[in-house]
Amino acid sequence: MTKLLWFAICFAALALTLLFRVIKGPSVVDRAVAADSVDILTDMALIIYALYTGRSVYLDIALVTAILGFIGSVMVAKYLGGGMNE
Amino acid sequence: MIYVIYALMAFSVFFAFAGVVGMLRMPDAFCRMQSSTNIATFGVLGVIIGGILYSVFFLNNSGFAIKLAALGVFYIVTNPISGHAIARAGYHHGVETAKMVCDKYGEDME
Repeated sequence: MTKLLWFAICFAALALTLLFRVIKGPSVVDRAVAADSVDILTDMALIIYALYTGRSVYLDIALVTAILGFIGSVMVAKYLGGGMNE
Repeated sequence: MIYVIYALMAFSVFFAFAGVVGMLRMPDAFCRMQSSTNIATFGVLGVIIGGILYSVFFLNNSGFAIKLAALGVFYIVTNPISGHAIARAGYHHGVETAKMVCDKYGEDME
């Protein structure tokens, strides 16, 4: 079942490619959205690696990372829209 | 059955690749957000469904399947919320747009 690892490698390569948008992105919105997408792509790689090894620790890590990415992007949106003090 | 799983994951890799290309090549911040949705819906669903099938038929482990289903429901529920919040905040922050043809939201705010 080593073919599963190739899909994980594909997702990791896509996440590394998307880091270009995090570094270069002209506005804050680009960086936040690209960081969220990098988070999702790494989660997919972690899920496939968990299926490959058969250990469920990586699934827990993926769940925690998903929750942290969601909270982070919502916090960036709150800060950017000026909704903290209103 | 293993080829169905490989096909689902290849489908998912294709959509994630399309989303990444869109995020690198689109001219505008809102266009890039629209392309990033591609990653978070179809790029996730293929891996989740394929993982559920793999864990049921090959690993014989139902805990994996339940965790994967919870993860998929979480992704599908939370992605529109964060996308909506970031788009609204970016509009209020004044993100530059390449060619804006129609702006109904700005007309309604006046």
